[in-house]
Amino acid sequence: MVDVSQHNLVPEHSVLDNGGVEAVLEDYGVDRTDLPKITRRDPALPDEAEVGDVIEIRRDSRTADNALVYRLVVDS
Amino acid sequence: MSDQTPKEIGSVSFGLMDPETYREISATKIITADTYDDDGYPIDMGLMDPRLGVIDPGLECRTCGKHSGSCNGHFGHIELAAPVIHVGFAKLMRRLLRGTCRECSRLLLTEEGMDELRSRLVRTQQLGEDPQDVLKAAIRQARKTDRCPYCASEQYEVKHEKPTTYYEVQDVLVGDYPEKMAAAMQPGGSGDEESGDTGATSPQELAEETGIDLSRINEILSGEFRPRPEDRQSIEEALDVDLTEEDMNKLMPSDIRDWFEDVPNEDLEVLGIDAESSRPEWMVLTVLPVPPVTARPSITLDNGQRSEDDLTHKLVDIIRINQRFMENREAGAPQLIIEDLWELLQYHVTTFMDNEISGTPPARHRSGRPLKTLSQRLKGKEGRFRGSLSGKRVNFSARTVISPDPTLSLNEVGVPERVASEMTQTMNVNLQNLEDARRYVSNGPVGHPGANYVQRPDGRRLKVTEKNCEELAEKVQAGWEVNRHLVDGDIVIFNRQPSLHRMSIMAHEVVVMPYHTFRLNTTVCPPYNADFDGDEMNMHALQNEEARAEARVLMRVQEQILSPRFGENIIGAIQDHISGTYLLTHRNPQFNKTQALDLLRATQVDELPAADGENDTGEAYWSGRTLFSELLPEDLDLEFTSSAGDEVIIEDGQLIEGTIDEDAVGAFGGEVVDRVIKTDGSTRARVLINEVAALAMRAIMHFGFSLGIDDESIPGAAEEQIDEAIDNAYDRVEELITTYEADELESLPGRTVDETLEMKIMQTLGKARDSAGDIAEDHFADDNPAVIMAESGARGSLLNLTQMAACVGQQAVRGERINRGYEDRTLSHYEPNDLSAEAHGFVEHSYRGGLDPQEFFFHAMGGREGLVDTAVRTSKSGYLQRRLINALSELETQYDGTVRDTRDTVVQFEFGEDGTSPVQVSSGEENAIDVDAIADRVVEAEFDAEGSEAVAAAARPTNLSERADDRSAGLDLPPAAEAATGGVNDDD
Ligand SMILES: [Mg+2]
Ligand SMILES: [Zn+2]
Ligand SMILES: [Zn+2]
Repeated sequence: MVDVSQHNLVPEHSVLDNGGVEAVLEDYGVDRTDLPKITRRDPALPDEAEVGDVIEIRRDSRTADNALVYRLVVDS
Repeated sequence: MSDQTPKEIGSVSFGLMDPETYREISATKIITADTYDDDGYPIDMGLMDPRLGVIDPGLECRTCGKHSGSCNGHFGHIELAAPVIHVGFAKLMRRLLRGTCRECSRLLLTEEGMDELRSRLVRTQQLGEDPQDVLKAAIRQARKTDRCPYCASEQYEVKHEKPTTYYEVQDVLVGDYPEKMAAAMQPGGSGDEESGDTGATSPQELAEETGIDLSRINEILSGEFRPRPEDRQSIEEALDVDLTEEDMNKLMPSDIRDWFEDVPNEDLEVLGIDAESSRPEWMVLTVLPVPPVTARPSITLDNGQRSEDDLTHKLVDIIRINQRFMENREAGAPQLIIEDLWELLQYHVTTFMDNEISGTPPARHRSGRPLKTLSQRLKGKEGRFRGSLSGKRVNFSARTVISPDPTLSLNEVGVPERVASEMTQTMNVNLQNLEDARRYVSNGPVGHPGANYVQRPDGRRLKVTEKNCEELAEKVQAGWEVNRHLVDGDIVIFNRQPSLHRMSIMAHEVVVMPYHTFRLNTTVCPPYNADFDGDEMNMHALQNEEARAEARVLMRVQEQILSPRFGENIIGAIQDHISGTYLLTHRNPQFNKTQALDLLRATQVDELPAADGENDTGEAYWSGRTLFSELLPEDLDLEFTSSAGDEVIIEDGQLIEGTIDEDAVGAFGGEVVDRVIKTDGSTRARVLINEVAALAMRAIMHFGFSLGIDDESIPGAAEEQIDEAIDNAYDRVEELITTYEADELESLPGRTVDETLEMKIMQTLGKARDSAGDIAEDHFADDNPAVIMAESGARGSLLNLTQMAACVGQQAVRGERINRGYEDRTLSHYEPNDLSAEAHGFVEHSYRGGLDPQEFFFHAMGGREGLVDTAVRTSKSGYLQRRLINALSELETQYDGTVRDTRDTVVQFEFGEDGTSPVQVSSGEENAIDVDAIADRVVEAEFDAEGSEAVAAAARPTNLSERADDRSAGLDLPPAAEAATGGVNDDD
């Protein structure tokens, strides 16, 4: 099987620790549930990601070097 | 008037309505289907009862006492003789019937299951997902339960026959069960064969196997006793027979209502239903609300006859059936008749709410037209939401044909006098503009610029007529309002459909003109995607100061020069403008003083630069590039490759060398325009585009530019060469065919031999056309107008030229050579299975030379495909557009840079991932942000500003009328022009 997460077009997905999550939520003034979602079955997710985790996605950006996006792992 | 003070809506909650509430708010009970009596008065407790509101002017509402117009109408009600189902909730009712117990009405889930659902519901709410999904999952789970976990009664399948019939499917004992059992017990009957004994089963054995008393078995076999369901099952198992049949037990609406009444509130909560506001039994109607007459006004026809609204017709039907039902029931009519009437009542109530239900014949008008009932009033494009609320017809708008006017600024629009004197702007008269206001009024409604209405401070509106205008003008005082005609400099909104992007609606300044079309500068054609082959456009006159200010600052054409789609200019030189600048700069021609002045006369340049030199006769001359440079900002430095292929060098605002063509000043990414707007602002860019267009028009008129048949003709020798090239190609195609027919053609990887042949033929013929084009091209001079247009990017391509002069080439349908028509051939002119080029749509002639009949036919086939494609594409993309707009319309960039929807869910953490607007960043591929250049500019500005205190440059003027802009941009108008427009313009 191909590990999609290693493909060079798939940006880096990492699980954010609790402190990181707090900081992000504080930063944007949102609840965890207001974040964009990603399903638990998404092949780009690291293996340890569980429902309720917040994932940090680091994308390459032509204009901003890299762009950070946060997503909440949800069921289904 | 006290009820018209502004109020804030705290919340809106949707739910079902309690029948008791209907009765309470009802103005009257409706008992008779009649509407008006013989004298034309509405009948009491009829469908037009005056307590339901008034529509006839002069009458008084019997409920609220108001007159028509201020009385909104009041609901009445019909007491239904028997409960009926509300079609709108048929699906939810089916779910509830399947998910609740038929005996005790509890949700068929254990306490644990309910707890899980409760927490899932909370989660769903937090994540902003659809609670409907939870309900669906709950019902799916509950449906699996065979026995109620609370009262242990058996549950049956519920069948839903659309739209409003429900059955319980029960397995019941067949009538001839003793016979069936006896047959199964006979030897050779359907006894259990795998156990080996194919022989008979005795009652004794059966009793042992099933654990039923032998006496009871005998009683069952004799038909004296009906086995209980459990016993029946074990007998069925033992004998391997089916003793049941399906019985469809219809659930009447009254049964369903009883069933739902017992569903406990707590169980509903688990399903996401708020029992406080929506008890499920309310989905079964016992009382029907009757909409107020204001919602179904009757109209009086010319012959004095009244014509009733469709809803009224439907209500009449309902009341009639309702009455018949009651009469029949009281008379003790047989059950069958009662049920028929019940069904009829259900049908009428159903179609009253929705007359487009699949499987139900729509209720029709006498004329056969289907009735437009409640749902049809709301649904679809012409429905209340899309037709009356989201989109409605407006006042102060005008529509007419558009035509070009190169003398207008791109910010302006020529408005016909007829339109200008119909559309008005409200002037608040004060001491400063009193003179003007009086002048407008005294001009009357016909003279332009005049006024159509005035409003006194007491709110009274007076129409200005030709008779009273002089008199009225005297009376106008400060504090009055005057609705004056549109005049030059007013701001209006201009739009061309389809409005596919932001630039389809832009604000223009009015220039009032004679004749009957809107006039626009040709440089604004690309954003509107307009041409002048009969296109019409809409204009909206703005009606308050806020709107006018916003339009001027945000929507004016010059603010839309850069497209947010690709970050480059969408407004710029097009077509003849580009040919014009090309002619002016490509070979850098020389002009004497008269010519130079003539070229620049349409621009604001009023002084010639120093001459470039003297010609042989000693006359001073100016080069085309020098003249063009007059339009450029003084500090412009730029280098790029033109679309004609040469290097363009601009230094200090002087065009040193290179051709100015599409890549320099064109719409869709002209380098010069792009640079100027990004460094000098939109006002300067607007001036540049206007002047480039004006100069280009003078230039193209100076040289003269036309295209005729002869411009595509080539010498006879060249024609022979082309014929030879095509003949060669034919030979090669012939060779390919021979190889193919000899089964010697080798297929390309992944292709069949047939496909390979087709591909190779297409390739060969494609090359033939190209080489024909090359030959033709060699014989066109550089000053050939078609070549100039293709090279400069003004219009057309070398392919177009090739097709005109040399060879039209292969016609294709669906990307293949033409293969359709008769059996095994395209046309009857050819042998069957002819694979040659000419038999499959290769057009060897040129447009100029003329096509032969077969070629013409093939060409039409290819052309038709193009037309069909565009037609299909537009309808598809229109729908896609609508869906995208609906999905994205509520997204908004917040002050913290995030993009969120209305529920505050984050969609992007930074707008576009970099927080930059595509129109504010440099559009170059490399070094997206030219830091050095910015630093240079800042430092320079710093030194320039020496002495003066403020380093920060003054904000760019954008919210002024065009002429005021010109003044602040240092481009003073000649005093005469200013005087001509002064005064009238300044009331903005
Ligand atoms: Mg058109
Ligand atoms: Zn009323
Ligand atoms: Zn039960």
